[in-house]
Amino acid sequence: MNRIALVSAITLLLLTGCGTSTSIDEFRVSTKELELKGNEQIVVMGRRHSGEYETEPGFIDCIGDKLANNGLIKVMPEQEFLDGFYPWFEPRTAPLGLKRMGAALNNPLIGNRIRQLGIRYMIWVDGKTETSEKTGAMSCALSPAGGGCFGFTSWDKYSNYEAIIWDLKQLDEKGRVTVDSKGSSYVFAVGAPIPLIAQVQSGACEGIGKRLQGFFITQNTGP
Amino acid sequence: MNFCLYSYPKRILLALLATLLLSACTTNVTVNGEYPTALVSKQPLKVGLVLNESFRGYRFESEESQREPVVMALGESQVKLFDRVVTDMFQSTSTLSAMPAGNGQFDLIIALEVAEVQLAIPTETQLNVYEVWLKYNLKIYDGKGQAITAWQMSSYGKTQTRLLKSSESALNQATVSALRDAGARMITGFQRVPEIRQWFAAHQTGTQLSQRNPQ
Repeated sequence: MNRIALVSAITLLLLTGCGTSTSIDEFRVSTKELELKGNEQIVVMGRRHSGEYETEPGFIDCIGDKLANNGLIKVMPEQEFLDGFYPWFEPRTAPLGLKRMGAALNNPLIGNRIRQLGIRYMIWVDGKTETSEKTGAMSCALSPAGGGCFGFTSWDKYSNYEAIIWDLKQLDEKGRVTVDSKGSSYVFAVGAPIPLIAQVQSGACEGIGKRLQGFFITQNTGP
Repeated sequence: MNFCLYSYPKRILLALLATLLLSACTTNVTVNGEYPTALVSKQPLKVGLVLNESFRGYRFESEESQREPVVMALGESQVKLFDRVVTDMFQSTSTLSAMPAGNGQFDLIIALEVAEVQLAIPTETQLNVYEVWLKYNLKIYDGKGQAITAWQMSSYGKTQTRLLKSSESALNQATVSALRDAGARMITGFQRVPEIRQWFAAHQTGTQLSQRNPQ
């Protein structure tokens, strides 16, 4: 009877646990899709001016990959952009608003390089993924006869990000996408540990990347 | 326990073991990073950048008693950064290990010193980040060796902890980020220092006057 209860509990955990829930909100200035010519590209950047957290570079790369949609949209890697425009987009110097972005574009060195590289849109992503404190306990032991773990532990993850699209040609905002994603992860062990990890951040990346993709229409002709 | 009671080879062995145990608990980092070329227009000036031996070989050793010791060799990486930055900011630069004679060989002389290094690790702050603060003293002289000003410049870098990332790698990344910030601070803030701005204004007027009246 006890074994049946344990198996049922594990099955229930497998089914309900480690699931993620993601909600996405989107705001568009216009219902028209954003034009992106064949020689133009997008750069996705993370906000890093806050002292308490930084928008993870890996998350920015993930959004860039989703947005690129297997090469249909040209996306410049964030680090390449940061190095090419050093020191104007560092955490200390990056423009936080369109007014300061306009001032940066008025610097001929920055403005000319943006035009040369065909960077039409800049997408700023701000947010973080937080992990709650772990609950439960697990202990592992190793002996000459073998090893194993026993116990149960769980934790929650919560992701909250906002992406803002700037049009660098018209110097205005074209839209915003906000994503909230949460999920619980579990590890239980009777001998070997069995992890059930919720893919919270990748869920947020998938959600935000696909929505951003929907903003753009690509033209494979020149200007 | 009297250490002298042991025979000589045993004492050496014990000393070696103690050294090993102590060094095993120390976080040793040799800061290693790449710094990009700056997107700035070069000032038409001849600049001498003085980076003395203590700057070149600078090592930070933490004195906090509550945490495990940290030793960071910063010298090589900070030389690489400031060499790069000054080369990008001015048309002609020379890196020197001592103050040159003020014989007008240079328009400006910049001497750098490390004033302070601070770091915070997750076990201290309960935050999920490694943080590094750097403070530099920049002493600026004119070509005759007359002091123009001393500018204290601080910078900050952080990196989030990642699964499977060692504390050495995280501290290296945070320090490289702080050095990168120091470069950004120097490029964007140099001519905002009032005394330097005044010197530039006077120097440009002088240059313009000498261009107008070459005799």
